[in-house]
Amino acid sequence: MTIPTVRYTDERLPNGLRLVISEDHLVPVVAVNLWYDVGSKHEQPGKTGFAHLFEHVMFQGSRHVAKTEHFALVQAAGGSLNGSTWLDRTNYYETVPSHQLELALWLEADRMGTLLEALSQENLDNQRAVVKNEKRSSYDNQPYGTWQEKLFGHLFPDGHPYHHPTIGSMEDLDAASLEDVAAFFRTYYAPNNAVVSIVGDADPGQVRTWVHRYFGPLAANPAIPAFHAQPLPLTLGGERRETVPDRVPLPRIYVGYRAPTLGDRRLYALELAAQVLAGGKGSRLHRRLVRDAQIAQDVAMFGLGFSSGPSVFMGWATVRPDATAEAVEAGFFDELARIGRDAVSDDELGRAKALIETDELAALQRVSERADRLSMYATLLDDPDEINRQLERYLAVTPEDVRAACAECLVPDNRVVLTYVPADVDVDAVAESTEAA
Amino acid sequence: MSVIDPVESALGVRPVPGTPRPFTFPAGVRGRLSGGLALVTVHLPGRPLISASLYLPNGAVDEPAAEGGATVLAARALTEGTLRRDAVALTEASERLGASLRAEAGWDATVAGVDVPAERLGPALELLAELVREPAFPEREVERLRDQRLNDLLQARVDPARRAEEAFIETIYAAGTPYARVAGGRRETVETLDAGILRQAYGRRGDPDRAAFVIGGDLADLDVVGLVEPLFGDLVVGSGSSAASPRVEDGLDRTRVRLVHRPGAVQSELRVGHLGLPRRSPDYHAVTVMAMILGGLFNSRLNMKLREEKGYTYGAGAGYDFRRFAGPFSARAAVNTDATVPALTDLLAELRRIREAAPSDAEMRAARDYLVGVFPLRFETPGPIVGALGGLLTFGLPADELDRYRPAINAVTGADVLAAARTHLHAERLAVIVVGDADAVGADLEKAGIGDVEVVREPDPAAEAA
Repeated sequence: MTIPTVRYTDERLPNGLRLVISEDHLVPVVAVNLWYDVGSKHEQPGKTGFAHLFEHVMFQGSRHVAKTEHFALVQAAGGSLNGSTWLDRTNYYETVPSHQLELALWLEADRMGTLLEALSQENLDNQRAVVKNEKRSSYDNQPYGTWQEKLFGHLFPDGHPYHHPTIGSMEDLDAASLEDVAAFFRTYYAPNNAVVSIVGDADPGQVRTWVHRYFGPLAANPAIPAFHAQPLPLTLGGERRETVPDRVPLPRIYVGYRAPTLGDRRLYALELAAQVLAGGKGSRLHRRLVRDAQIAQDVAMFGLGFSSGPSVFMGWATVRPDATAEAVEAGFFDELARIGRDAVSDDELGRAKALIETDELAALQRVSERADRLSMYATLLDDPDEINRQLERYLAVTPEDVRAACAECLVPDNRVVLTYVPADVDVDAVAESTEAA
Repeated sequence: MSVIDPVESALGVRPVPGTPRPFTFPAGVRGRLSGGLALVTVHLPGRPLISASLYLPNGAVDEPAAEGGATVLAARALTEGTLRRDAVALTEASERLGASLRAEAGWDATVAGVDVPAERLGPALELLAELVREPAFPEREVERLRDQRLNDLLQARVDPARRAEEAFIETIYAAGTPYARVAGGRRETVETLDAGILRQAYGRRGDPDRAAFVIGGDLADLDVVGLVEPLFGDLVVGSGSSAASPRVEDGLDRTRVRLVHRPGAVQSELRVGHLGLPRRSPDYHAVTVMAMILGGLFNSRLNMKLREEKGYTYGAGAGYDFRRFAGPFSARAAVNTDATVPALTDLLAELRRIREAAPSDAEMRAARDYLVGVFPLRFETPGPIVGALGGLLTFGLPADELDRYRPAINAVTGADVLAAARTHLHAERLAVIVVGDADAVGADLEKAGIGDVEVVREPDPAAEAA
């Protein structure tokens, strides 16, 4: 099977904006995906959560666009849109019927150029309250909701840019000021810190004209500070464990490992290992813990690739009421040791590759996904053509590659284990005493 | 002399839209297999990943109350082994093809299907036929699936959104109405399910006109009928005699407030609403526009008030869940605990307001333009196109329903929306569900005078599991 090649052009405007265009006229829709090379890793101590709060401010208006009008205009154009913030980046995207592309480009340019002219204390306070409720909804009021903060907190030392969660802390969100917003915008929201990818039913010459017209006059920031992360060894150097009482009926273990940086070929071997270990009903962990021993309710394994330090390879298993977390953990780690010891069979690896192939084919059908990936590879790996190399990189992995990557990564000295247990006392009191300790 | 600002000259004029490129919903070709099953094929050039789904007229709404959850669990058990091979062998065979085999049931239908690259369609369809026609319902696997469902129900007790949903449907529907339970069933009935019950539930047959095999993708080099006919040609999908319609009854005679205690919760999960209307209602399009204005668009009245003005929530919305029979209408938000009563007050005011006057022209335009404009985006790939075509048959809608959709939405007027709100939205007979810290919000909720407050205090979920 061959996956269709994504054809595109890759160029820069004089002000440094990187422009990637890919034509596809199958359906009359077009996707715009704008990545800024700024994420929660750029946040300073005491200002956690700021990159994400800023993303919300980007929807509060600019010189020619009123508060919430960005959403209103794109939706009335028949488009879907949003923004998202992660450790390494922030992105903004619209998918619109193709005759509405110019509007989407104009909206993105207006806020890249003139956001601060619409900024007000009232809007900042409103979005601060919204983001605090996002944190409550997505983390604080969710069962097992603290796992990410805790796992990353253990995998990366205090002060490392990946140590703190993207959503930030309530205290830091409270402290964010208008001056912080303005400084952040002036530093990072410049055309030379962004990639815009446009994929779909559009004429590239016309796209170029519009992008030059709307983004061309925006000033570059010649002084974007270089980003430096404290270099970390690829392994943790010792197991770290934490037991977390929570208001949950079933215990769950989370395990996390440091893994090679995004783009490293070992990460592809680990992704295939994740598929062999926990990708569906035929996988080793599912078969052993869920189907045969019937001690786990569910299992998961996956990688999160990062560009400025170790990536994270992680998973979880939920413990059935009649089983113990110890038994689940023992079986889980036994399988992880085995995959680092004995090579996976050709059949197992072949099945994992076939599924990844279909997943790639499915994902690349959509113009929004192609635009997102072109911007991602341009931003994080400086090469949008990675979109066309992913499958060959997966297919090139051998059973020995999988074994070697797992033997290196999935070792006790490199792991964090969180054990969530049903709290039999007041949860708040437990949380307080843990913090005080 | 004025200074020319290059940014202002570039951005000062808002662009106007170009000419829309025509979009028509991809035409499905309807035929019949020799045994009578409808075959719908939709050729989508340039889409090498084929999506195929068999729609069986067998939904959770059709099952006896005492077997609540059997239909959903039976569908899940289809991929757990056939008369020829066990679950692992079946999964491995499907994985070798890079195919994802799926089988699931909802309220209205059981759907089994596969997504697979075109060149491996033949063997993938053989696997699909095997699990559809020769499911084994192995006892050990059925018991495991049942126990997993019971554990999932335990987990649902501590998930605020799922807990609110459960309390909500129990309140808006009369006891005995299928929709008063979740489609996957409650503990009391799930506990009693076994392989025999699942086999029977899967074997239940309904109206054959609601069954179809739908396949979409780049079919240029495929002999679809030649592949499908030998596998599904003689499949019996209907009983000929339509089963009696289930009883779907309103459970509300007044506004009821139920506060489900979640100790220490930092937010209150809110659900407000009542029984809605069936998908085949003639008011479908007017109600859809109304729900967009009330709580569908980002700039809907609820989201603008509760999020963008007050900051009470990460997002507020409202909508109708359209099913064969009257599904629920609900307005939803998760709000910080302090804001529980003020947020509910604002939410209720918006439910009243949309019944008082027709929306503004700007609101009408925004909702209609969104629904009409986003239509092509929804149908970019084979999966959603196959799903929409299957939905037509499941709901018993006319073949031109999807072609009619955009003109019908465009024809909805402000007066239609007002009439739809007055008919299909009750402001005085509501279920108001709050999953939150009763110790923190209970007293204020009583004082708010929304309705009698019933506080639900449950045993700690941790203790329950032990």
